Amino acid sequence: MSSSLSALLSATFAEPGYEHLVELIHQRDAAARRHLESLDVAIHDGGGTLIAGRSVDPREEVLDLGKLVGEVLTPGDRAFVLFDARYDERLFPYRPHHYAYLHRTASGDPPLYYAVNATLGGVPDRIGAERLNNFETYLFRARRFDERYSLLLGSVARFADVEARVTCYYGSASTVQTVKLAPKHHTEVVLPVEHEGQPLARVEVKSLFRLTSYVVGRRASTGSLVLFDHLFTYFK
Amino acid sequence: MTRLLRRVARALLGVERPAVYYLPWLVRPGLDCVLMLSNLEARFKSGHNAGPFSVRVTQYDAEGRRRGEHRARLERSTDLVEVKLPSSDAAWGFVTVDGDHVHSDLYVTLSDGEAYAVTHGRQEFVERYPIWSRAAMAAIGRVLGGLGRTVPAFVRHQYAYVGAESRSDLLVLNLSNVTNRVRVVTLPSGEVSVLLRIPPMGSYLLDVSRLAPPPARGTRVVPLRLEGNAWFNLYVVGAVGVAERSAPLSLMHVK
Repeated sequence: MSSSLSALLSATFAEPGYEHLVELIHQRDAAARRHLESLDVAIHDGGGTLIAGRSVDPREEVLDLGKLVGEVLTPGDRAFVLFDARYDERLFPYRPHHYAYLHRTASGDPPLYYAVNATLGGVPDRIGAERLNNFETYLFRARRFDERYSLLLGSVARFADVEARVTCYYGSASTVQTVKLAPKHHTEVVLPVEHEGQPLARVEVKSLFRLTSYVVGRRASTGSLVLFDHLFTYFK
Repeated sequence: MTRLLRRVARALLGVERPAVYYLPWLVRPGLDCVLMLSNLEARFKSGHNAGPFSVRVTQYDAEGRRRGEHRARLERSTDLVEVKLPSSDAAWGFVTVDGDHVHSDLYVTLSDGEAYAVTHGRQEFVERYPIWSRAAMAAIGRVLGGLGRTVPAFVRHQYAYVGAESRSDLLVLNLSNVTNRVRVVTLPSGEVSVLLRIPPMGSYLLDVSRLAPPPARGTRVVPLRLEGNAWFNLYVVGAVGVAERSAPLSLMHVK
């Protein structure tokens, strides 16, 4: 493999019982010949242990992640899934994008379509890490729903633990949780929907470097994912 | 080369591209569509982070008609104002948002009353063609449209998912003041195609099962090529397989 290739480490979370189809590249050129140079998929359990890994033919267009995790996870488990992509920067001047289709089988809930987190690499000025702190935000509807919210956080680090500070805002009050993640570990941080009678309005995640992070909403009655979205970074 | 040709063509046609922030909207009986307006980005911009911020939302329907205007005032950058769009019969379109330094990450939510799905809008542009180039494009569009074709000035590729239980419909937004004929072709064969005629500032909700029937089990991935004669963009609308008008939906942006 040429050392001039660029690298992108994307990551998501997967649970059994969902159709979960990941587009290896979202863009296609006129001849539909654009593809990655290579793609390795690694699946880690909640304890950070590698439970499955494989190289994917980069000429494949869509990876059936639901099938893959269904083979290695039992119902109720969740996996942290890393996509290590190598690509030619001339083909993808910004970076390749992975998007995914997510639908809980037999739930009656609508499917979700989301952008897979580009956690490391992909954009040169992100690698430079000119600003050390990473800061992401997400807003919530003011009224209460029968929905549970949480953050899914994962660390792609190889050696060192990382801390994240999760701040929830409720009117004029706020709460802070500190989460520590070992390499390749992940966790689901529950965001209480109410505090001192005030509804959850906003969450912020602060960490030394970028974690894999998604805001998720689960229908309270079934636990089905009805929200699976990235947070927003206002400065990089 | 293509970029240069486009720039030359725009100059010849006299096209202007004013910046605009837009969000999709979609209502159905039993489905609430609420916009979440804030200006959190301003919080981090010195000199622009003190409120109040005024926001004006202009709502366009599928025919490109102005369906309404909503105004809001944010006292602080961390404030959030929710605007519920009137829901009666099934309808869709997009809104444009003008405001004091409002550039990013306004949300739109769809709710069945129990839970809600959410996505965000885009800071982009709309194309404004002068009257003479509108007339020229209309004439060319009618001729090509009769043949099931369009001027492929802009091309997007998008995967569609058609399953026994669910699918990813497409909300195609015409971000211009000319009629946009958008041809949607299934790949790789190109055997199946539809031509959408979208009025200026209008939109079209495409049921992708028109292009590929759902399999008995699982989900079929259908690569699509969309080509239009003027600027357009799209949102993915997650739909369940049943054709109930009140069935829940989700919305999602794409690059």
